Amino acid sequence: MLQDESLDDFLDAFLGEKGHQKPEKKRWPTPAIPINTDNLAAVAMVHKDMKEPIAKKKLSKRTWVAIVMILVIIPLTIWFGIRFMGDRKYYFISMGIIVYTFVPFLMVFEGRKPQARELIIIAILAAIGVAGRAAFFMLPQFKPVVAVVIIAGVCFGAESGFLVGAMVGFVSNFFFGQGPWTPWQMFSFGIIGFLAGILFRKGLLKSSKPQLCVYGFLATFFIYGGIMNMSSLLMWSSIITWKSVLAVYITGAPFDLIHASATVFFLFVASKPMIEKLERIKKKYGLIER
Amino acid sequence: MEDSFSTYHPIINFFYFSVILIISMFFNHPMILGISLISAILYAVVLQGWKKALKFNLLFMLPMLIIVALINPLFNHSGVTILFYLDNGNPITLESIIYGLVMSVMLIQVIIWFSCYNIIMTSDKFIYLFGRIIPALSLIFSMVLRFVPKFKAQLKVISNGQKCIGRDITNGNILMRARHGVTILSIMVTWALENAIETADSMKARGYGLKGRTAFSLYRFDNRDKGMFGVMLILLVIFIIGVSMGNTFVQYNPIIIINGIVPMSLSSFFTYFIFLVFCLIPVAVDGFSAMKWQKMKEVIPEKTKCAEIRVGIEAQ
Repeated sequence: MLQDESLDDFLDAFLGEKGHQKPEKKRWPTPAIPINTDNLAAVAMVHKDMKEPIAKKKLSKRTWVAIVMILVIIPLTIWFGIRFMGDRKYYFISMGIIVYTFVPFLMVFEGRKPQARELIIIAILAAIGVAGRAAFFMLPQFKPVVAVVIIAGVCFGAESGFLVGAMVGFVSNFFFGQGPWTPWQMFSFGIIGFLAGILFRKGLLKSSKPQLCVYGFLATFFIYGGIMNMSSLLMWSSIITWKSVLAVYITGAPFDLIHASATVFFLFVASKPMIEKLERIKKKYGLIER
Repeated sequence: MEDSFSTYHPIINFFYFSVILIISMFFNHPMILGISLISAILYAVVLQGWKKALKFNLLFMLPMLIIVALINPLFNHSGVTILFYLDNGNPITLESIIYGLVMSVMLIQVIIWFSCYNIIMTSDKFIYLFGRIIPALSLIFSMVLRFVPKFKAQLKVISNGQKCIGRDITNGNILMRARHGVTILSIMVTWALENAIETADSMKARGYGLKGRTAFSLYRFDNRDKGMFGVMLILLVIFIIGVSMGNTFVQYNPIIIINGIVPMSLSSFFTYFIFLVFCLIPVAVDGFSAMKWQKMKEVIPEKTKCAEIRVGIEAQ
């Protein structure tokens, strides 16, 4: 309980302090600040140094980075893109912002010097995701990655969910080929796991089968599909009209539907035993004390 | 053929590919695109051999080029040179066709460059580069890469064990086979998790995360790398100066404006030439080392007499 309270205090202070800066973010309203602060929810789960950044220092290094990024780097990217990139400005700016959203995650994670056990659990889950994607490679878009990422988010918190997702996206592309799509995939997988962790913590998502399946379907279809379709449009063309957006989403819909059904299938089959196993490991070795 | 560009320091490899990929992703001047595409194909041929590279390009890239090039004029009707009208009254313009072509060339060359990147920037180089900036994540990354083959091997062990008690995926009717498969996967996951904790404890016992620990790496930033880095930086600076002079400005919409080709000024020619040199660095490096090897072979007097020397040189 105390964790929640101190977290909420911090969120209030943090958001109140920086409320006036919000309009600076133009095109991608969500990433930097919310991710940054909400991440503390995940940090707090690892109980050891959770109070320190919240209570003692007024502005942590991470906050400074976020401020610099929002006030300086992102506007600079937008200006640079519009000024110099001509036709490619949309792709340049969106790609830049996607890459920046990783920075707060990396800083939070690296900054608190994670324990070996934590690292290895994330690695194991990511490896299961990669192996799963490799096992079903002959069926296009039929991949269990999102299911694994959601389970990771639910069992080990939002931050782990994000890291597992981003890691699966990155490593599996070593087997399937890296490309301009890699950062987008990493971000989409990551954010699905992140949201799953947040929703579970806030009590909006239960670890019951039907709820997970519904979340899995919606997340895959709207978040993953939404981001990846848009990214391919940005990659292919630079004159973005409502018509072309619609066309991309319509052509992408069947693939997203297959992907979403695959997620539902894997969550339906594997979520219960998988969560049981993870909870057992957590209890047996005291991974996360509540 | 052995690629000698990949023997340079990982920083050199990574820097080269970052620059090339950024330029080819964000510049759509036809000259830059053409140079980049040709160099990408050339390097892919050097790395993968004629057959594989050509097969890849013809089988996957050509259809992609045509599809992407055709899609653009269907959705994009801007441009002043109207060629004809579609049935629904939308115009097809010359500008949108050319733009579709440009975008498809851009997409293809990025993919070809990435196919070269995948060969040169192996995962160990990546871990080496990022191990200091993001140590925890690099460790996770390398563990994931390790776990995948480990899982595969362990799956075999479990599967064989189950086979001995008649519960393998080859035993029974289709329903039982599926059930056996699920059991095997379940055993697999449990084993993986337990094994992970064991690994973590072992890491902790050996002092993971303590201060003053060093990491071993094979790479050394020697004079050859310094020279190469200098050359790359100089070329890049000249290219950026050329770009800022407007030599790569291009506009496709609503009218096509292409700077620097007709009439080609000295400075624009120089800009393109510098870019060509930059693109061809790996190919040139490979060519030079092949020539060097040829020369060294000529020095060797006779095959039979100097078999031992040859063995020695080849081993290098």
